[in-house]
Amino acid sequence: MTSIGRQLSIGKTDNTSDQRTPRKRLRLIPADVRESFVPVIPARAVQRQNEWDLTRIAPNRPRAEGSPIEVKGTVRNESGTLLRGALIEIWNANHHGRYRHVEDHSGLKLDENFFGIGRVITDEYGNYRFWTISPGAYLARPDIGRWRPKHIHLSISCGSSRIITQMYFPNEPNNASDPMALLMGDSFDRNLGKPYETKIPEVDQGYDFDIVVGGKNATFFE
Amino acid sequence: MTNKQQTNILLPTNEDTTGPYFPTYFSDESYEDLTQIHSGVIAGPSGQNIILRGRVLDRNGKLANGVLLEFWQANAKGIYRNPSSENHPGLDPWFDGYGRLRSTTGEYTYRTIFPGASKDRAPNITITIFSDGINRIVTQIFFADQKANEIDPLLKTLSDQDRKRLTAKYEGPSPDGADVYTLDIIMAGDNETPFFDDFLS
Ligand SMILES: [Fe+2]
Repeated sequence: MTSIGRQLSIGKTDNTSDQRTPRKRLRLIPADVRESFVPVIPARAVQRQNEWDLTRIAPNRPRAEGSPIEVKGTVRNESGTLLRGALIEIWNANHHGRYRHVEDHSGLKLDENFFGIGRVITDEYGNYRFWTISPGAYLARPDIGRWRPKHIHLSISCGSSRIITQMYFPNEPNNASDPMALLMGDSFDRNLGKPYETKIPEVDQGYDFDIVVGGKNATFFE
Repeated sequence: MTNKQQTNILLPTNEDTTGPYFPTYFSDESYEDLTQIHSGVIAGPSGQNIILRGRVLDRNGKLANGVLLEFWQANAKGIYRNPSSENHPGLDPWFDGYGRLRSTTGEYTYRTIFPGASKDRAPNITITIFSDGINRIVTQIFFADQKANEIDPLLKTLSDQDRKRLTAKYEGPSPDGADVYTLDIIMAGDNETPFFDDFLS
């Protein structure tokens, strides 16, 4: 049990972080009300058949531009419990660094064959796997020339385990200046996909990304 | 809950900002209105329907566009659907208590039932906020004119001002008979909403 709540840090050169990060230290939750702070997400996640493969819009459509990759790993909580049936919601920019989101006004090139949104559910051993296109980096702060490094967004929901995170790629030049990566410090390497050679002809490169959902909520009912 | 620290063996993946582009593709109406299982069937939870609405604001009083809000509450009888209430006779078969919505503008409207008070508590809803620029932040909100607010063990730890910042105002009934409550969440700045550390504490 900690005796003091966290003071959240502001991401350097991140204007939104400056506007939205609480300035006061987080308050501690009294033990007798702690359970009320543990949302339990109902296990009724759905996944359409082709949503694990982001490299094409549908099975009979052409492959999107860029380099197809495979991402796989396990999902566990801090005590090592494998999270079965965990919903993983995935979104990433296309080869040119553009999202198909209606609020992405970057003007970067859209790819007719890339949707960039997918969904997978972990199996009985807590394993997941999906294919996507290796995302492009994009210029986040044109005024100071700061780029967002290549990344894939992942949102994981499973019972009382909940995390939204990003997987980064090793040895990318923009990793070092990313505000959130800077806040992670040495633990940034936990958010890196670990490259492996894949024998599957359909993808150029594989990345292992084992996810560990931290925090008290994830182990609260164990 | 004992010795949890010693049994934790893995280092957690870092949380990260949600970014501005959480896909609306993932939206699910049944998580935005818990009073209706599906518009085509006669089924729904017990309890008084409510509409909770408000704005999520940043440090400059501007709407926090693109926020993802997640809600968690007890059913009308004050029972949470969680592993410690399995087989509890007070569970409502039509109520899970979890909701989620993404707001394009930063304004939100959430439909649910008025939460029952669980033991020694005032009625409340836990809200988790995900957005660009931050990792998740968590708060718990209460309702105006509830007697139990005076004895609630969480509210008791807060100043009068902070209690007000967490108490939704009653605005009267909506045309369809739901009780309307409003609350603005202020992410940072002078009138900042109290947020709680559910990660460490
Ligand atoms: Fe992104």
